[in-house]
Amino acid sequence: MRIFKQWLCFGNLLWLAGQGLSAAEFPSETADGYALPQPGRHFVFPCDHGSHPEFAIEWWYVTGHLVATNQATYGFQATFFRRALLPPHSTERSASVDFGNDQIYLAHMALVDKTTGEFRFQERINRAGWDAAAATNTLDVRNGNWTYRLLPAAVGSAGRETFALQATIGDGVAFTLDFTPQKPLVVFGTNGVSRKAQDPTAASHYLTYTRLAATGDLTLNDTHLAVTGEAWMDHEFSSSQVGADQVGWDWLSLQLFDGREIMAYRMRRADGTTDPFSTVAWVDRQSAVRQVGPSQFKWTVLEHWHSRKTGTDYPAKMQLEAFNPASGNWETFVVEPLVADQELAAKIGGVGYWEGACRVRDAAKHEIGRAYMELTGYGQSLKGKF
Amino acid sequence: MPDQPHVLRILWTRFAWRHWRLAPISSWLLLLILALGVAAFFSIRLANEAAVAGFANFTDLITSESDGLITAPVGPLPTSVLKDLRQLLGNTPVNLVPVLETSAVPPRRAETEGIGARPTYQILGLDLPALVNLSSPAYGGGLPATASAEASAAAPNQPRGLQRTNGIYISAALARRDQLTNGSLLSLVINDRLVTLEVAGLIPNRPNQPAAPAGLLIMDLPDLERLTDKVGRLDRIEFVLEPGGHRAERWAAIKQTLEGANLPAAPRWVVSSSAERREAGVTMTRAFRLNLTILSLLALLVGLYLVFQGLNGAVVRRRNEIAILRSLGVTARQIQQAWLVEAAVIGLVGGILGLALGWLGAQLAVQTVGRTMHALYFGRNVDSAPFDFQEALIALIVAVAASTVAGWRPAQLAANTPPAQIASRTGTASDPGGRWLQRLDLGLGLLGVGLLLTFLPPLRMEGGARLPLASYAAALCWIFGAGVFAGQILAGCGRFFQWLKWDSVPLGLACSHLRKPSGRHRLAAAGLVCAVGMTAGMAILVGSFDTTMRGWIARTFQADVYLSSDGDQTASSINRIAPATWESIAKDPSVKQSNAIQGRELILNGVSTLLVGHDPRFFRDYSKPAWVSAPQDDTVFDAARNDHLVLASESFSERFHVSRGEVVQVPVPGGFQPVTIAGIYADYGNERGALLVERRQFAKWYGTEMAASVILALQPGSDPEALRAKLRAAHPGLGVFTSGFLRGEALRIFRQTFAVTYALELIGILVAVVGLAFTMTSLLWERRNDLATLRALGLRRRELSWAAALEGGLLAMAGLSAGLLVSLALGWLLIFRINKQTFGWTLQTDHPWGQLIILALLVLASATLAGWFAGRWSTRLPAEREE
Repeated sequence: MRIFKQWLCFGNLLWLAGQGLSAAEFPSETADGYALPQPGRHFVFPCDHGSHPEFAIEWWYVTGHLVATNQATYGFQATFFRRALLPPHSTERSASVDFGNDQIYLAHMALVDKTTGEFRFQERINRAGWDAAAATNTLDVRNGNWTYRLLPAAVGSAGRETFALQATIGDGVAFTLDFTPQKPLVVFGTNGVSRKAQDPTAASHYLTYTRLAATGDLTLNDTHLAVTGEAWMDHEFSSSQVGADQVGWDWLSLQLFDGREIMAYRMRRADGTTDPFSTVAWVDRQSAVRQVGPSQFKWTVLEHWHSRKTGTDYPAKMQLEAFNPASGNWETFVVEPLVADQELAAKIGGVGYWEGACRVRDAAKHEIGRAYMELTGYGQSLKGKF
Repeated sequence: MPDQPHVLRILWTRFAWRHWRLAPISSWLLLLILALGVAAFFSIRLANEAAVAGFANFTDLITSESDGLITAPVGPLPTSVLKDLRQLLGNTPVNLVPVLETSAVPPRRAETEGIGARPTYQILGLDLPALVNLSSPAYGGGLPATASAEASAAAPNQPRGLQRTNGIYISAALARRDQLTNGSLLSLVINDRLVTLEVAGLIPNRPNQPAAPAGLLIMDLPDLERLTDKVGRLDRIEFVLEPGGHRAERWAAIKQTLEGANLPAAPRWVVSSSAERREAGVTMTRAFRLNLTILSLLALLVGLYLVFQGLNGAVVRRRNEIAILRSLGVTARQIQQAWLVEAAVIGLVGGILGLALGWLGAQLAVQTVGRTMHALYFGRNVDSAPFDFQEALIALIVAVAASTVAGWRPAQLAANTPPAQIASRTGTASDPGGRWLQRLDLGLGLLGVGLLLTFLPPLRMEGGARLPLASYAAALCWIFGAGVFAGQILAGCGRFFQWLKWDSVPLGLACSHLRKPSGRHRLAAAGLVCAVGMTAGMAILVGSFDTTMRGWIARTFQADVYLSSDGDQTASSINRIAPATWESIAKDPSVKQSNAIQGRELILNGVSTLLVGHDPRFFRDYSKPAWVSAPQDDTVFDAARNDHLVLASESFSERFHVSRGEVVQVPVPGGFQPVTIAGIYADYGNERGALLVERRQFAKWYGTEMAASVILALQPGSDPEALRAKLRAAHPGLGVFTSGFLRGEALRIFRQTFAVTYALELIGILVAVVGLAFTMTSLLWERRNDLATLRALGLRRRELSWAAALEGGLLAMAGLSAGLLVSLALGWLLIFRINKQTFGWTLQTDHPWGQLIILALLVLASATLAGWFAGRWSTRLPAEREE
């Protein structure tokens, strides 16, 4: 136990040191010419909602919990990925506008019926061009018939933005959802940079709306349902997300009924330990963010779920004990999947993972909020892939 | 009296089956001949199916089966249309698959290599990373390696450049054939360039889809865009719906949206469902395939004639037993049923055998049929014809039904054999066709009806194809009518040779049988009339075609040097010559005048035809067209005054019912253009017809200067061979031909298309001669007691064999005379009705007498030989031996 405490102490020191890296110590680009996140970046909107092709990796991610007029409840996930294939100044860039060779777009769409337990998902890949693109001046990303946009009417009216998601899953599911932020945008990390590993290039700009009101229509097997609910939206861009000795991450977004949110990630090393650059970020009712390092939280796996499809074991039920800097207390959250099988056995991107709707209980087992949890790198290491 | 099924079983095992076992050779021969007929029918139908299926399934092999597609009303689709479509369709879950297509061939190995001798590859340009989206098993397929290779290159975890420049994906068949592996280099001619492509992967087979043919290659679409100079252009966009129910309804909704977005005045796209597209392919070639099916049915018909002969012979041979059975109380009805069952079993066994033979034959026929369709209609390669159970069932039903029908009359004869007729050897009751074939009024009637039918117009089919159904019926009437007359000729032959009074016992013996020919004699002669008439008629058609083509080729290829892309081997080739290339060649000092020819398919009133841009003066001076309706003045040849004036080919005028002076509204990019037909010329180059317009006008309408071919007339004294060598060295991607070479090649390709008809003719002749052998065997069996008596009187076996040989020979002579006579009429019918109505071509009649004489000698010799063998066999028959 003593050793564990010493390790926590050392880890926290590292984390603090890392977070405190000065701007001069951050390289501005990777060896092959991609941009790297820089501390103190001044974000300008709506441009920074849009694409940053100078970075190698970018994603827009929305998850949420919906209630239909017939009281049926659903969880959904929409992720639009962008991956650069050629650095910004490459001379190999294709002249073809419709069939580009510099960017590839991957997207995942998932819906879980919390009542029936039915989980559906679809993935899609397209090269930059006629069927996939992301605007650089605003949020307008599309992949096939899936789109995620900042509605033009709302441009410029800060705080009253509306984002529109339009997507389908196979032939049976279609949803059109509008999201309106209920709380201001937060930027995770220190000085605008969210670090993931000791290597300063493994870092991102991480922008989030932690609570958005969701409203729209869901069509399920020819049944049209009006739905409302709450969503979480991440937009992250970087040129590397995983350190050399890391194999994956566990990530959580908690929306508590008391109006607070928590974002937590645990970067996992190959030896099973937690990387010191893991974090828990508390977002209070006023959207003030306070982050703590690994020494101030404890991530305990309570149950595993075995996927018959892929043969992967996921630590699907977990307990997070974290120190809340605002109150000075430790708080306990038990995160339970609402449906066990929410595995995205993705084939196209080559990276399968578990991402699912969960409920949050406190130490007394009272349900105190909803969550989405992401578990990556269990079937296959993400080393060298992000 | 035992119950009915029991009697039938006994009759089958003790009566029919025993005879079949006792005479295995003739039994097998009969089955084989029927099988051959069924095989011809089945193989042609399978080959047809495969060739037509190839029209649609190239993309299906790679993607999932598409639900529909759009093409441009005229010319290519701009790629910009893709975004518009996605926007138009909003949240509709549908995959859009853009396709660019081209053809390519390997460079020639020798300068003298013939056109069409090299394999033609079809290259599909597809958006490879997007194909991965169709890889889910729900779409019905495994992930094509084409896509997976690119996808892994494209996937977020392997950030490499997306395009592998000049990477090509090949079929496993090609990899095996040419021993290619990843990284192997493949040189191909695309347009006027020789390019080297690198094998990047294999196209795997999708479950429940035919294997990718060797001729199919796949490239990433932008790579092919660049190689073919077609940046920003697509040939079509296919639509693949998300897997699930109500596909037809979902596609109908999409189609409605797409069509609704089209402006009626200037439509942006033409929407068709995959079923319609396949139907278009089927429609386009329907007449061609029907012609082949009719020809294959004729082979089956002759086979059935043989079943008739065989069963009838069996009735003769088993007459004694029939009489005994009748005496024992077996009813006439039971006898008839037993014979019909026997006929049906022959049909079934022969049919099954035929299916096996037919499937093998189809693998050969598909090459020929596919090649012909490839040349005539569309560029699709088909390597094999998969076994089709529906077609097999049809063939089997046809075989059993037809065999039963053929067995009907012999069954009736058997049933009508009275118990007391045991002693009778030549009773009319067993003389098939005797009554019908003696009726001259029937013969005359059939000839008359045939004549009347020739005046009827062809059946007009969807897609502009015409089927000369009435003319086919006329041919059938004439063949049957002439068959009736063959009996008369036979009797005449018998009387004539007897009148000659040559001192020959065999001749006298043969003539004695022919003077009053039996129904069986008449039937054998009628069978020969059918086979000889068809074969000789076809020979006359082909001969006339040959002569006409030679004349046309000699007139048409009067310029000195002809250029096309070296990848251009068929009518469907889409390789072109860049303007920079042909303009520089036209400036060569040895070139006096040049004619750059552009061409595009044109859909006029839903019918496919061609619009060609050319130099009319060059056409007049060097192609020396044969005018069907000559231009009334020189305006059409004057570039300054020939705006909207065109020359139409004879096929065009026939297909669209237009004549000189009429105005045709031609759909070109940007709308309809009215053109006036200034003249009509004879053309045997294509049956779809063509409109020739001044090239400058064509280039303006289509916005391209890419030429399909270029014709050069050289300065006096210039050596075409020297120029050819010079141009080949400077432009390895160009096919450069002198007029002499091209003439030979044009004729060779033309002759190649008739390969199927020759095979069918051979089958017909073979069956007719075997039928004659059957007839002779039956006749001699009937006469076995007479033969025994003759031998007892001192006639030697050799003399009896010769008598049978002469009888067979004279029979063949009668069949030949009537057959050759009817072939003259059939030749006329084929040339002036069937050919004209199907293709719209006027041919110059030419009778290939040499070929006809060879045919006559061949039939005569083989019939005499068959008679001789039958005679020799008969001399060994004891008077009362069973069989």
